[in-house]
Amino acid sequence: MSNLIKNELTKIFKKKGIYITLIVILGFIILTNCIYKYFYDDGDYSYYSEGYINYVNEEIAKLDPTKPSDTSLYIELKTTLDIYELLQKYGEHSWQAQVINNQVFTYITERNTYLYGIDKNEEKVGEINKEIDTIIEKLDQDDWMYFALEEQNTAEEKIKDLEEAIKNTEDKQQLESLELELTNAKIDLEVANYRVNKKIKYGDDYLNIALNSYGSDSKSLEQMKASKQDLSYEEQQEYNSYLKNIATNKYVIENNVDIYKQNDIRGIFSSFFNQYGLFIIAMVIIVAGTIVSEEFNKGTIKLLLVKPYTRNKILIAKFITMLIIIAFSIISAIVMELIVGGIFFGYDSLSIPILEYDFTNNTLLEINVFKYLGIQLLAQLPIVILLATLAFALSTIFTNSAVAIALPLLGYMGAQIINVLAVEYNVKFMRFFVTLNWDFTSYLFGNLPMMEGLTAPLSASVCIAYFVIMLIPTFIVFKNKDIKNI
Amino acid sequence: MELGKTTTIKLILGLQKITKGKVQINGFDVEKQFTKAIEKVGAIVENPDLYMYLSGYENLKLISNLYHGIDENRINEVIKLVKLDNRIHDKVSKYSLGMRQRLGIAQAILHRPSLLILDEPTNGLDPEGIKEMRELLIKLAKKEKMAILISSHNLAELDNLCNKVCIIKNGKIIESSSIEKIKNEVNSEYKIFEIDDTSKIKNLLPQAILLSPNQFKINLPKEKTPEMVAKLVINNVLIYGIMEDEKSLEDIFFEKTGGNVIE
Repeated sequence: MSNLIKNELTKIFKKKGIYITLIVILGFIILTNCIYKYFYDDGDYSYYSEGYINYVNEEIAKLDPTKPSDTSLYIELKTTLDIYELLQKYGEHSWQAQVINNQVFTYITERNTYLYGIDKNEEKVGEINKEIDTIIEKLDQDDWMYFALEEQNTAEEKIKDLEEAIKNTEDKQQLESLELELTNAKIDLEVANYRVNKKIKYGDDYLNIALNSYGSDSKSLEQMKASKQDLSYEEQQEYNSYLKNIATNKYVIENNVDIYKQNDIRGIFSSFFNQYGLFIIAMVIIVAGTIVSEEFNKGTIKLLLVKPYTRNKILIAKFITMLIIIAFSIISAIVMELIVGGIFFGYDSLSIPILEYDFTNNTLLEINVFKYLGIQLLAQLPIVILLATLAFALSTIFTNSAVAIALPLLGYMGAQIINVLAVEYNVKFMRFFVTLNWDFTSYLFGNLPMMEGLTAPLSASVCIAYFVIMLIPTFIVFKNKDIKNI
Repeated sequence: MELGKTTTIKLILGLQKITKGKVQINGFDVEKQFTKAIEKVGAIVENPDLYMYLSGYENLKLISNLYHGIDENRINEVIKLVKLDNRIHDKVSKYSLGMRQRLGIAQAILHRPSLLILDEPTNGLDPEGIKEMRELLIKLAKKEKMAILISSHNLAELDNLCNKVCIIKNGKIIESSSIEKIKNEVNSEYKIFEIDDTSKIKNLLPQAILLSPNQFKINLPKEKTPEMVAKLVINNVLIYGIMEDEKSLEDIFFEKTGGNVIE
């Protein structure tokens, strides 16, 4: 048996095909790393594009602020222009930009309402303008801590007010909404405290993104907790994602590490199969789809079949060879990424762990990049094995390499569309369809699978059933195949 | 010409399912004890299909891995035997048909089989190649003590090479015995006489078959030959030569099969 496998491997590695495939994959890996390094846009978006501002200018010229029907739109557009003007001064990516977008925005909207709205109030306008001037002064002084402390104070005061209000309220419904408001205020305070204590300057870097989403996710979670209704499956999934994001963002804030960074070697490894899965699968399928059919087409199968081995043994040897090629493809893709990624980004980022939230005991796990990669690949291995088995079965049954390569590739690409549709419209019977079951990553760490009713044992049974259903006819056909004139 | 030669070989080698009857090699049934039956068999079926992208040596190495006890020495010995020493490390895709045929034989005899099965081994070879192949096969039979089973429609070739023949017509064996026996059986005692003018014997020997203006054929037992010679000499017929009319395998084939009729 082992000598049969050895021979199969010799045949594969003496052919040019496998090296051409490897070179193509290497080329793709280099290209991917290159794009991540030089073109990756890390949420670097513009609030207001020039085109948009031109449009706003045109629109505002058409409006008459004295006409009651135009007033509210006029105020909105005018505010946009005012904000834009302010942003131009500091740049869209300055720390000031965030303050302007959050805090100054409310002031300017208020001022414009008094200036152009129905209840015009010169006095109020003056007051607000004074406040805006103070803010701008602080912005000019680069004093971001002022705003952080301000946020802290506002939250503290709000909490006091709300606690007072709760004491004096009897109405149950009102009490509930007040309590929710109180939790929100407490979250605001927590966020403000983090900013002050960790000295997180405003901006649009990962710390600010983590801090902001920490706040908003915490609020959403509290709201879900407060609602008395049973959660639907989608809501449970949402609930879980809040749990995970809150814990992860808290980790980011407390440890000051950029967990979400995509454009380095760690980022690419964290989504390895998504990046290179198609190439690994293509390489495996090319081998699996030709390993039997090519010998039939070239007539060399006769050499094998008149040797003192049963046909079952010959086919098993070829199947095991295919499994070895799967391991080879995955390992060579990892090695190539390790080399290419190292050249592009260096290896420093590999020391940062990957975070996963364990839903079974609600803890955040820090996982080494390579351990994480191993777990992910193991969980996604059924995809590769099942597709390769399909190619192998077609290759043996129809002895047609083109069919044996094209169909599994089509299947892999089609699977992604089918899965989305099945989940979107909650097609129950699709639970027994292989493509919804072959990715075990969603069962890791106690998370909820993408569709209600899917469980790890069900998925394992479905995968094994498909595997066996594909292999049995393959062996029967191969055993009984007459060698026609070639 | 689909007379069932290749099919027979495929049945023997287990490449096609046997619908009726059975095949035994060394006492082992091919269907029931395939690996034991095939262990001592080497074969080329149809064309010598080898791995074109490998060198001749790599091809032999692959085959040698599938049997126990074939070492480098045996491989080199076989390479020498089939006279491929000079080109053995070239890719098979660069080989001529004759070289491929020889490499095919090399892979079939690596494990010292007791039965070598060849399907039209001289097909497509040039005259020199045919001669070399014939010498090789005779050498194998004598030196390596192999039984060689050859299928062919080149009867002259088999006549030169074989001890035993088996004639198949429309899938049925219609003759199976040693060549000599068949020939003796078929050869009546005809003699061919070469003389000056056959018109002289028209009345003298009415039973003679005229072959040409100076050749005729006649059924004549050995012991009656001197008598016939005397008779001719007396009648002033000049005798230039007397030959035995030996039939070729080809003649026997057509006699037995009645020509190539596919029913």
